[in-house]
Amino acid sequence: MGAYVLRRLGYGIGVVLGVLFLLFLLFFAVTDPDDIARKALGEKVPPAVIEQWKQNHGYDRPLWPWQDFEENLLFEHYRRMLTFDFGLSDADDSPIVDRLRSGMIPSLALTVPLLILGLGASIPLSLLVAFFRETYIDRMGVFLCVLAMSVSMLLYIIGAQFLIGKVLRWFPISGFDPDLLLLPRFLALPLLVGVIGGIGADVRFYRTAFIEESTRDFVRTARAKGASEARIMTRHVLRNAMIPILTQVVLAIPFLFMGSLLLESFFGIPGLGGITVDAIQANDFSTLRTMVFIGSLLFVVGQIATDISYGIVDPRVRLK
Amino acid sequence: MMGIEAYMVSNVGTLLLLAGLGYVARVVRRNRFWREAASELWRRRRIALCVVAVFFVIALLDSVAWKGGVPEDAVGVLPNAPYSLIDRIFLDTTEASYSAPFAAVEFYGGRPLRKPGAHPLGTDIIGRDVLYMALKGARVALLIGGLTSLIAIPLALLFGVGAGYFGGRFDDFVFFLISTLQSMPGLLLLIALVMAMGRGTVSVCIALAVTSWVGFSRLSRAETLKLRELDFVRAARVLGVSEPRIIVRHVLPNLAHLIVITFVLMFSGHVLSEAVLSWLGIGVDGSWGQMIDGARDELSREPIVWWNIAAAGTALFTLILAVNMVGDSIRDVLDPRTQGEAP
Amino acid sequence: MRSASFARLVLCGLGGLAVLVTGCGNDPYPPSDATSKVLYGSFVDAPKSLDPAVAYSQREHAITGAVYDTLLEYHFLKRPLELIPGLAAALPEVTDLGGGRSRWRFELRPDLLFHDDPCFELSAPGARTRAITSADFAFSLARIADPKVGSPVVEPFSNVEDFQAFGERLAARRASEPAFAALPVHEQYRLVGPIAGVSAPSDSILEITLARPYPQIKYWFAMEFSAPVPWEAIAWYDGEDGRPRFDDHPVGSGPFQLTRYDKRAIFVLEKSANWYGVRHPEWRAPGATYPSEGEERDRAAGRLESAGRPLPMIERIEMRREKEDLPRFNKFMQGYYDNSGIVAENFDTVIQNGRLTPEMQALGIALDKEISPTVFFLGFNMDDPVVGKGVDAAARTRNRMLRQAMSLAIDAEEFLRIFSNGRGLPAQSPIPPNIYGHDPDYRNPYRQPDLDRARAILARAGYPGGVDPATGEALRLTFDSYNTTTAGLIQHQFYTNAWKKLGLDVRIEAVTYNQFQDKLRNGAHQIFEFGWGADYPDPENFLFLFWSAMRNSTNGGPNYANFSDDRFDALFLEMKVMENGPERLAKIREMIAILEDERPWIELMVREDYLLRHGWLANVKPSGLSIPTYQYLDIDVEQRAERRRAWNQPVVWPLYVLLAVAVLVVAPGIRTYLKERQ
Repeated sequence: MGAYVLRRLGYGIGVVLGVLFLLFLLFFAVTDPDDIARKALGEKVPPAVIEQWKQNHGYDRPLWPWQDFEENLLFEHYRRMLTFDFGLSDADDSPIVDRLRSGMIPSLALTVPLLILGLGASIPLSLLVAFFRETYIDRMGVFLCVLAMSVSMLLYIIGAQFLIGKVLRWFPISGFDPDLLLLPRFLALPLLVGVIGGIGADVRFYRTAFIEESTRDFVRTARAKGASEARIMTRHVLRNAMIPILTQVVLAIPFLFMGSLLLESFFGIPGLGGITVDAIQANDFSTLRTMVFIGSLLFVVGQIATDISYGIVDPRVRLK
Repeated sequence: MMGIEAYMVSNVGTLLLLAGLGYVARVVRRNRFWREAASELWRRRRIALCVVAVFFVIALLDSVAWKGGVPEDAVGVLPNAPYSLIDRIFLDTTEASYSAPFAAVEFYGGRPLRKPGAHPLGTDIIGRDVLYMALKGARVALLIGGLTSLIAIPLALLFGVGAGYFGGRFDDFVFFLISTLQSMPGLLLLIALVMAMGRGTVSVCIALAVTSWVGFSRLSRAETLKLRELDFVRAARVLGVSEPRIIVRHVLPNLAHLIVITFVLMFSGHVLSEAVLSWLGIGVDGSWGQMIDGARDELSREPIVWWNIAAAGTALFTLILAVNMVGDSIRDVLDPRTQGEAP
Repeated sequence: MRSASFARLVLCGLGGLAVLVTGCGNDPYPPSDATSKVLYGSFVDAPKSLDPAVAYSQREHAITGAVYDTLLEYHFLKRPLELIPGLAAALPEVTDLGGGRSRWRFELRPDLLFHDDPCFELSAPGARTRAITSADFAFSLARIADPKVGSPVVEPFSNVEDFQAFGERLAARRASEPAFAALPVHEQYRLVGPIAGVSAPSDSILEITLARPYPQIKYWFAMEFSAPVPWEAIAWYDGEDGRPRFDDHPVGSGPFQLTRYDKRAIFVLEKSANWYGVRHPEWRAPGATYPSEGEERDRAAGRLESAGRPLPMIERIEMRREKEDLPRFNKFMQGYYDNSGIVAENFDTVIQNGRLTPEMQALGIALDKEISPTVFFLGFNMDDPVVGKGVDAAARTRNRMLRQAMSLAIDAEEFLRIFSNGRGLPAQSPIPPNIYGHDPDYRNPYRQPDLDRARAILARAGYPGGVDPATGEALRLTFDSYNTTTAGLIQHQFYTNAWKKLGLDVRIEAVTYNQFQDKLRNGAHQIFEFGWGADYPDPENFLFLFWSAMRNSTNGGPNYANFSDDRFDALFLEMKVMENGPERLAKIREMIAILEDERPWIELMVREDYLLRHGWLANVKPSGLSIPTYQYLDIDVEQRAERRRAWNQPVVWPLYVLLAVAVLVVAPGIRTYLKERQ
C-alpha cells in the first residue's frame, strides 16, 4: 500500500512539474516582457520606467539555465510557483495572493450552490427519465437534453439577463453583495443559468448510469421477487449508480475554487473566474499562469486523493 | 500565402473536400457494415441530416470564389477581388445603418432604404445584410469544427495508437503528456494558447485541437491495447507482416467507427468553444460567435435591435442541434456499447 | 397513484419558485440606504493604482480626484475652463527671475488636515490626522522625481529647477549605498537634499522655481500628481505584514475619503469631516462653495440654483463595477444607478439626433452634453515610403497627394451618425473646442468629404483609379489596429470601405496590443487610429504631437505619426512659451495651415460626452477632463425612492404560463406511461 501511495504521489509531482514547464513555454518563451510592460503601464511612459517595471516583476533575466545558471527565468519560475510565491500582477502590480484570497469566497458562494442545485435537479430528472425509459417521457427527455446542450452558454446568459432581468424584473440583472439578505437575489439569475446550462449533459450522463445499473442481475432478481419499480429505482439502482456519480462530483470539487469564467464575468461576481477574465483582457500573464497552475494543482491533488482512496477500498487497483 | 490568392486556396480546399467525400461515399457503399449503418442513420435522423447538408451546401457556396464579374459601380466592392457565390448573391445590398427585417425605412431616423423590404433579417449597425452575415458564418463554423477535428484526430491517433501498440517508453511518455494536459483547466489552456499564438482561424483551430485531442487519444490507446491482443493481429505478426502495415490494415479499420463518432461529437464542442473565444475577443473573424458578441449590447438599445443576435443565435443553435442529433444517432448505430456516454 | 405524486412534486416546485420571485424583487441595495443621500454609479475597468503620482487615467481619477485635493482647481461651470484656488488661498504669484527662469509662489490655506488614518501614529502616538504643510507638497513633488515611483509626468515637471538631477542623485546613491536604499523614502529625500526648485520657506508658503519658460506648469497644480501626500502613509502602507499598499489605500485631503475599496467590485467614498470646506464653511472658499456664476445654459439647466451652498452636498458615493452594457444601462433605467456614466464605446440610442427620445423624457431622465477636449484621428506613419514623407521631391508630392485624397474620402459626419448616433463633432484641426486656438469657423478643405476631388487628386498623384502603376493592381495599404473586438472591426471597415471607393485596397490588420506597439516602434505601421485627450486646456498639449522631438520612432514620444517639419518645430517652440493673445493665435494658425496641407492626420472627430441622469440628480456638468465633481452633486432622495418603486414591479404572469406548459408537457407522458403499463 505504502509503495502505491508513494508511486502515485511521485507521478502527481511529475505531472505538476510538466504543467509548469508547459506554462513556462507559453508565458515566458513565447511572450515578450516589453510588450507586457507597455500594456500595463500605458502609452505615455518613458523607457526607463519600463526597465524599472521589468526589474520589479523579474522579467529582466535570461530565459534558460544554459544562458545563466544562477539567474534564469526557468528556475525562478519553478522556485516561485512551487513555494506559492506568485508575485505581482502584470496589470496593476497588486499581489496575486491577495486576489486569490479575495476571489475565493465569491466564487465558492456561486459554485457550491450551483453544484448542489445542479445535482438536485439532474439526479431526480434522470431518475425520472430512466424510470420511464423507452417511453414518450424518455424520448422527450433525451431530446430536451440535446436541445439544452446545443445552446451556447453565451446565449443562455444574454437571454436570461434580457428576459428575466430586464423584461420581467424578477431579479437584479447582475451584481454581488456578500450580505446574506441580498446574496440570494444576486445569485438567483446566475444559478438559474448555470443549472439550465449544465442540466442537459448531466441528465444524459446520469441516465446512462442508471440504465446500465438497472440491467444488472441483482435488479432483475429484485424485480423477479416482485419489488415495485419505484422501490427498485430508489433502493437498488440509485444506490449503486451513486458510485460513478460521486466520483465525478469529488473530481469536480477542486474546480469549485476556480469559479466560473462566464457566469462571474457577466453577472459581476468578483470571484476567481471573473479575475481570470480580467487577466485575459488586460494581458495579465502572471495572474493567468497562476490560475492555470492552481487549477492543475487542485486537479492533480483531487485525482491522487480519489485514486488512493480507491486503492484502499479495492486492492486490485494498486496493481494497475 | 496572400500572394497566391486566398480564393485559390479556398477553391482547392473545396475540391479536395468534395473528393474526400466522394471517396468516403464509395467506401460506405462497398462495405456492408457502413452501408447498413448509413441507411439506419438516414432512417432515424432524416431532418437533422438535411439541416446539416443545407449548412454544408451554404458553406460550399461561400467557398467557391473567383475574380471579376462584379459591376464597377457596386458599392464597396473592389472590381478585382475574389468573390464567393454568396458574396455575389448579396452584392450591393448594403444600407447606411440598421434596418429591421423587411423594413422600408431605416430603424433609427426613418430615412428610406436603398432596397426597401429586401432584408428578411434586417441589417446591422453599418448596414450589412444580416442574412448574408449569418450565411457566411456557416463556412466559418464548418471550418472551425472540421479543420480542428482534422488536426486533433490524427494527432490523437498518432499518440494513442502508437502508445497502445508499441507500449514501453513511448507509452509512458504519451501517458505522461496526456495526464499533464488533462490536468490543466481546458478553457484556460485554450485561451493561453490563442494568446501566445496570436489571432486567426488557423491558430484558433490549432489551439482547439491541442486542447481536445487528449480524450480521444486515451480512448484509442485503450482500444489499441485490446486489439493488439486479438487473434488476427497476433496472427499477422507471426506471419511477419510489418508493423506499420498491421496498424494500417488491422488496427485503424477497427477504430474507424470510433473516429467517426468522435469527429461528430467534437465538432459541436469546437464551434461552441469558439463562441466563448469570440466573447473574449480572440475568436475567428466572421463567426457566429463574433456576431453574437458584437450584437449583445444592442439589446440595451431602446428600441431594441434584436434581429442581429437572434439570427446568429438561431443559426448557431440550429447547426449544433442538428449535429448533436446526428452524433447521438451515429453513436447508437455504430457503437451500442457506449450508448449515451458523455463525450 | 405514483404519477399523481410526481405531478404534485412538480407543481410544488414551481409554486415555490413563484413565492421566491414575488417575495424577492430586484433592488440591489439594502433597504436601510434608501433614505440617505448616496450617489449610485458604476465603473467599467478596475483601477490600477491610486497613488496620485502614478494614476493617469479616468478610471483612477474617478477616485483620486475626490480623495486628493489640489492647490488649484477648475471652475465648475465656466467654459473655457478657468483655474480657481483650491488648497491655495489664492492663485500663485509669478515672478520673472530673468534668463527664462521664474518663481511661482503659493500660499496655503490655514488649518488644513489630512483624512483620518491610523498611519499618523508614526508622527505622534495616538494621532489620527495632522495639519498639511508646504513640506507635504514638496514631498509629493520629490516622489514624482523619484525614478522608483515610476511617475508618468516626470517630463513636464522637469522644467522645475534641479528636478531631474534630484532623481538622478537619488538613484545613484541608492545604487552605491545599500544602507541608504534601506531607509524610509522620506529620509532618503531629506538626505539627498531638497529639489533646488522646490522650497518651503514656511509651513504655509510653497515656492516653485522653473529653469525654463513653461507657463503650462500651473495646470499641473490642478492635477492630483502634485496633491499633498503624507510621508506617514508611504512609510506605513508598504504591503507588508497585512498592511495594504499605498496604491490601494490613499490618504488624502479631499472632500471624500475612500472607505471601501474592492477594485473588482465596488468602491465607496464618504464625506470627509476633515476637509476644509466641511470644517470651515464660513470661509466660503471658492473650492468649497457652489459657484454663483456660470454660462447662460447653466441657468437654463438649473445648475445655478444651488449657488452659495457649502460643499459637498451628498454623504456617500457608491460605485459598482459593471463590465457589460446591458446590465449597466438596464440598472440605470430601473433607477438603481443615478447616472449612466459616460458610455465610451457604445452609444445608446435613447438619444436620437442629439436629443432624448420622448419616452425617456417622460421618465424624467435628463441629458447633459459636454464637448470633451479629446480628438480622434487616423494617422499616417510619415516614415513609411508609400504614405509617409517620402525621400525625394517627387515622392513627397505623390505621397502628400495620396494622403490628401484619402483624407477627402473619410466622411466624419457619416461616421458619427452611424456609430455614435450623431454624438460628437467632426474635427477640422487637432485643436478641439474649448481649447485656446480653436477656430469655430475654420473648415479644413481636406476634411470636407468629396470623392470626385479625391479621385482627381489621386489620379494626379499617379494612382489613377487607385491602381498602383508598379503592380497594375489596386494600391494595397494596411490599416493597423490593436482593437480586436468585433465592434472595433466594424468601425475600421467604415474607413477601408471609404477608401475602397477610391479604388484603394486597404487591409485591416488587427493585432494584439503588444504586436501593435512593436509595429509602432519598428515603424512597420502605415495607417492607424488614435485618440488624444488633453491633460490640460492648452493648445501646446495637442500641437506637441507633431513636434519632431516627440517622434515615436526615434524618441519614443507620443508623435506616433512620426511627423517632422523644421518650420513647424520653430513655430511650436515659440508658441509654447507665449501668453495667449493675437500673436500666439497667429502662430497656431500657421501651424495648423502646415498640418492642413501635409495631412499627417485625418482628423476625425471631437468627443462629446453625453451623460444621462435621472431627474433626482442635480448639478451635473462634465468638464471633459478626467476630474470628478462629486462635491457639487445633489440628490432628491424621496423622488428617487418613489420612482424606483414604480418602475420595478415584477411581471409575474409568465410564471403561470410556464407552469401551464410544464403540465402540458408532463401530463400526456404520464398518460402514455400508464396506458403502456396496463
